[in-house]
Order: sequence, then structure tokens, then C-alpha cells
Amino acid sequence: MKKVFFSLLTASIVLVNGFALAGSAADEVTVSDAYARAVPPGQPNSASFMLLSNGSAAGHAVVAAQSSVSRVTELHTHTMSEGMMKMRQVEKIEIPANGTTKLEPGGLHVMLIGLTQDLKPGDELSLTLTFEDGSSSRILVPVRMLQMMMKQDIGGAGHGKMNH
Amino acid sequence: MRNAGIAAITLLLAGLLIWVTFYWNPASRERVHQALNIASAPKGGDFELTSYKGPISLKQLRGKVVALYFGYTQCPDICPTSLGYLSLALSQLSPGELAEFQGLFVSVDPKRDSLQRLKDYGEYFHPAILGITGSVDEIDDVVKKYGAAYQVTQSNSQMGYIVDHSADTYLIDRQGKLRTVLPHGTAPADVLAEIRKLLNKE
Repeated sequence: MKKVFFSLLTASIVLVNGFALAGSAADEVTVSDAYARAVPPGQPNSASFMLLSNGSAAGHAVVAAQSSVSRVTELHTHTMSEGMMKMRQVEKIEIPANGTTKLEPGGLHVMLIGLTQDLKPGDELSLTLTFEDGSSSRILVPVRMLQMMMKQDIGGAGHGKMNH
Repeated sequence: MRNAGIAAITLLLAGLLIWVTFYWNPASRERVHQALNIASAPKGGDFELTSYKGPISLKQLRGKVVALYFGYTQCPDICPTSLGYLSLALSQLSPGELAEFQGLFVSVDPKRDSLQRLKDYGEYFHPAILGITGSVDEIDDVVKKYGAAYQVTQSNSQMGYIVDHSADTYLIDRQGKLRTVLPHGTAPADVLAEIRKLLNKE
């Protein structure tokens, strides 16, 4: 009986984790606060943001991504130079050992190119992140409108502090 | 003979030193590049571009406070952030205040942004934001006047070309004068305060 219980438990763990085997990058990097930006109807591109936390003593990196709502998904970043915001594709997004990497507006993001549907607030999309060792994590990402997320910040003038 | 050799070498080194000090400038190419992209000081001024309703000029908007922003609709992050913050600020204005305000989103990507698309894009953020554009010459003229900058950049991304662009918001008073330059990321509450400042002036 005990044996059956354990094999069921093992099976359920394997099912829940999907490709993420113990010790893999997908297992050691957790994704939180993920959201994708709602865009106007007919808009071809959007971006997804999140916090990547690496609890292990080894550095990891996201090297590719795929989404359920775009033809192509790429990793991009922004830099400010010559007075311009320059968006560039990056090969990978590194998450240092025992550290975090934040994907946020104006910086690193997962770029959703060639949207196959409109992204409205309340929608949800599925995003698969592939790591340097080939392991991958599939996450559900809610679609949010920036303005709604910040609504409380503007109730009283002077409290609209926002870090970039 | 030996003295003459030393003198020659000294002269050569001195010459080299002078050349390095005054003429050798490895960064000069980059500086020229920058100077082409960024106007020295934004002066502002009148302009005429096109909206889905037809031509629109800054002169037509005398009496209103205008917020001017340069971008392109395929921009996945920077433009939606700037326009999102602006719309949040505008949501706090009274109908009376809104009647005296006009937001202008100038597309620096006229090749991909049609007038209809610009109309929809602006209104998605706020009905008081009008998407406008023009010929490359017309756009460059406005960009120069306001000290903005953009450049079309080829990329390996599946997105096709990318448009690098400045991300400041320019606030123009009721007389058509450029008054405030808000850097990218200025919090909605601060955008609101700056717009109100101009609305409260005659």
C-alpha cells in the first residue's frame, strides 16, 4: 500500500513538473509576477514581463521562449543611448546564482511578435521558457493593462513613484 | 652623428605628441553621428502633419495645452508605457480641462503606420490622444524642432526593422510654446501635475 502511494506521489510530481527534472535549470529557476501587456486591437506585437529567481548555486539563463499567441517569441532588451530607446534582441537572459533578474517595462522582456489574437485584459496566454540546459518551464501569463495596474498610484498626486 | 640621431628622434616624438594631442580623435566619428541625431536644445515651434481627419497644425491648437510624443505603433513597450502613463494622467482631468487639452502621437514609422491605424492606436489609450504622421521630411522637421530623435535600424529580429526613438513627452502651452520636456518613465502623477500647471495658465 505504502509502495503504491509513493509511486502515485512520484508520478504526480513528474506530471506537475513536466520537463523539469530535479537539478535542471527549469527546476531551479522560479517565475513569478508574470504578465503580458494588453495591446490595441490589430497590434502585431506585445511583451511579457516577470521576475526570474534562481535559488541554486549555479547561474542559469533563459535562451528561448515560445508562446501560444504569437508566431515568434524572442528575448529583447532596451538600452538608452544617444537620447534614444534602442530595442535589441538578446541571445539569452541570465539569472545569476542565488539571484534574480527582473523583466520589466523599459528593460528586458519576452517579445511576442506576430500576435495571432488580440490581447485583452483578463486573457491568459501560455509561455514556455527554455533554459541553457534544454529544460523548460511552461507558465500561464495573465494579460494586463498597465494603466489599470497603476490606477491606485495616481489617486493622490505625488504618490506616483515608479522605479525604472 | 649620434647627437643628430637623437635630435631627429626627439623631433619625431615631439611631432607625434603634438599630433596625438591636437588631431588624433578616435571618438570623432561617433560624435558626428550623435550630432546628426540629437538637436542641441529643443526650441519647439509650429508644424503641420496629417491625421485621419486631414491636416493638423499646432497653430490650429492655440488655446489648448498639447502633449507631443514621437514613436511607432509596433513598439511593444516604450510607447505603450509612455501613452499609458499619459492616459492615466488624463483620466484625472475634468471634462472642462480635457476640452482644453490635445495629445499628439507622432508616428516616425509612416511606412507601416496608416492614418486609420494611428487613429485607433491613439484612441485606445485615450480619446484625447490623436495619432498623426507625415512624409519623412515633415516628420524630420518636427523631430528637429523638438530635439527628439529616431533612427530606423535593421535587425535580425522577426519583427523586421526596429525604430530607435527618443521617449520624452513635450508639453506645449496655450500659446504654442514648448514649456516642459518629460523624460521617459515620468510617473503619471507628475505628468498630471505638469499638464495642470500649463492648464492653469492663460
